[in-house]
Amino acid sequence: MASKTKAEILAGHEANTALNARSLAPAPRHAKDLGADGMFSPLDERIIAAASEALEAGQTHYVDVPGIAPLRSEIADSLNRETGARYEPGNIIITAGLQESRFLSIQKIGEDFENIGVPAVIHPGVWKALGVRAREVVSLPVDAERGYLPAVQAIADAVAGGCRLLYLESPSRLTGAAYTSEEVAAIAQGLSNAGAAAIWDGGCGPWVEGGCGSLAATEESPEHITTIGEAVPGMGLASWFIGYIAAPEDQIPAMQSQKQIMAICTSTAAQFAALEATKLFEEARGLRLGQLAQFKSDLTKTAASQNIAVIAGDALNIIALRASEAASARLREAGYEFADGASFGAPGVIRLNVNAVASAALQALS
Amino acid sequence: MSKKKAQGTNLLYQLIGEARGYDDVIIMGRGDPDFDTPAHIVAAAKNAMINHHADSTPPEGLLALREAIAARVKRVNNIDVDPVTEVVVTNGGQEALFLMALAVLAPGDELIVPEPNYNTYADSLAFAGGVKVEVQTYAEDDFRADPADVRAAISDKTRALLLVSPNNPAASVISPADMREMLDIAIANDLMILADDIYDLFVYDEFEHVSPASMPGGKERALTLNALSKAYSMTGWRLGWIVGPADLMARVRELKAAISGGTSVISQHAGIAALTGPQDAVEMMAEAYRWRRRLVLDALDAMGIKYGLPQGGQFVFADIGFTGMDSGEVAQRILSEQHVLAYPGSAFSKDRKDYLRMTFLQPEDQLIEGLERMKVAMANIVAEG
Ligand SMILES: Cc1ncc(COP(=O)(O)O)c(C=O)c1O
Repeated sequence: MASKTKAEILAGHEANTALNARSLAPAPRHAKDLGADGMFSPLDERIIAAASEALEAGQTHYVDVPGIAPLRSEIADSLNRETGARYEPGNIIITAGLQESRFLSIQKIGEDFENIGVPAVIHPGVWKALGVRAREVVSLPVDAERGYLPAVQAIADAVAGGCRLLYLESPSRLTGAAYTSEEVAAIAQGLSNAGAAAIWDGGCGPWVEGGCGSLAATEESPEHITTIGEAVPGMGLASWFIGYIAAPEDQIPAMQSQKQIMAICTSTAAQFAALEATKLFEEARGLRLGQLAQFKSDLTKTAASQNIAVIAGDALNIIALRASEAASARLREAGYEFADGASFGAPGVIRLNVNAVASAALQALS
Repeated sequence: MSKKKAQGTNLLYQLIGEARGYDDVIIMGRGDPDFDTPAHIVAAAKNAMINHHADSTPPEGLLALREAIAARVKRVNNIDVDPVTEVVVTNGGQEALFLMALAVLAPGDELIVPEPNYNTYADSLAFAGGVKVEVQTYAEDDFRADPADVRAAISDKTRALLLVSPNNPAASVISPADMREMLDIAIANDLMILADDIYDLFVYDEFEHVSPASMPGGKERALTLNALSKAYSMTGWRLGWIVGPADLMARVRELKAAISGGTSVISQHAGIAALTGPQDAVEMMAEAYRWRRRLVLDALDAMGIKYGLPQGGQFVFADIGFTGMDSGEVAQRILSEQHVLAYPGSAFSKDRKDYLRMTFLQPEDQLIEGLERMKVAMANIVAEG
């Protein structure tokens, strides 16, 4: 006999379009997969050694809910160094990846606010996190000419309209477009004047040459700004799921207790690997940025020669293109995977990872 | 927070904080096995770091692990599942239970919960907006959940029934006959079942564990969780799973993707090694718990402390009501005087202020020493009061 209760449960979930937004792969599934959130990177032997030594030494038990102390400290230091923020280790929660950071910050900080302002074009993981427990969303219009970021004025309008919590990505995870330092300062000022708060995904920031402006570095950041991201991107840990939340002190207890409820702590192997990776990060990133810059400039030229429109973006790890449905279909038929802008809210745009394979994909696209 | 006001989980955190300050402390409360993860599992993780570190994983987990899980739940629990559509890998049992609550309960829905129970259920339920309807169980009945009480607790808002067997903290095991009756009640009232099998390998004496999903009519309405944390001493790896009918599991998958995206591939490869490799370490550990359980029960008998017989699991829920003191105070006294930490029952349920939860997850010498010290503290408490 069919269960009516189950049918009702299923109907509730199926109607939840936010929850059912597409999820993107954490790392490439094969060589022609250019749609994953993380990039392919070799894993340094020193990371393998550090993680396996920790496990062999008995680091196989529960650890502190917000993460092991040295990693919290390293993450705080690296954020401070790179973005000019002023975080203490106590501001940091280590998470089981960026999606857990999104979920925890959106759902827990969101409890203190009537609604949350979210750009109309944003990573689908944000919709999914919002879909778990209904929240009122104020949609921030985005500027297609500006890499689909909401204009500073659009943010100001939302705040003027009473929105007191915003979720922002810079660089955009679709196009890599990032706010300039002046724009960041203007956003910060507007938020501060209204006493508004923000969750800021700056996770692609390390892939902008010369760095990019972060809300975490502004005067207001200790009180109102929570930043989230991958813990040590580009170091071969994408499939290990390790992220962070850097939050004002008064937000930490609620998120920490929710982290306990939903996961107890983050896997020790990933934490000890990330700890070692923080030591190697600066040098590795320098090398990686050089490679990415070369690839992206080549890709941009190839695209121009093939009449493919590139959407300007500052982050070098991704490239966003305008592509008709027919062109996307050709790409798929040629065996390539890509991130479809439609799942971000921008149909007609596709996102490719920048690497050696991407130029071949452009041939398939044209 | 001041010492006097702390209650429930806050009190517990306060006690844990104090315990950390004592060099010679013996922790008899925490549910973390003292054994390190068996070496062949650690070796498999290292191999995965070399050969599989960049493998991608779908939110529901690597197929090879889901196949190993399907084989395990068939072998141990007699549950038939399709590894492709009916298994989701999670960040430990904890994420699994959070997902189960979110999958089945909408705001206002009632979940029937035999009490005392693992405290996280209340927290997960609160997040989902569900309402906990408690069915009490008692030490004198060895904490048996009576199906008649469950039946009486049903209202038109009841959506599901939570069955944690063996239970934490009460260590009771639902008998096959009671489980059949629970399932019949669920079927008759069209309720879902949330089953937590995390202690299924720890069942003592003549008692028998049975998964509701293995019984006729069970699978289509049950979500069953388990994890490698307790049985394989893998608490730090954060690896668990949910199995259930494909239609519900498709929803669990979306929730998993929304909450954490996926599960670390290194932990997943360690999990494959755990489930498909040699099982002698698991048996050795289970044997150790059997022996330690005896040590604890003998010591409690010697102290004149009553308890519900632990039929399974890794705990004893001991009744210290005869002291006339709140378990928080008793735990505080034992900790301050003798540097032994047992968890106050009030951390599990507001109605269990007369209980202490003790584990048998310490090396034997520490366990014996801890019980000796506890004996001294209890004698002092009784003498004074
Ligand atoms: C009944 C029960 N379920 C689930 C869990 C979660 O365990 P873990 O997340 O470590 O696998 C625990 C932990 O103590 C438990 O006692």
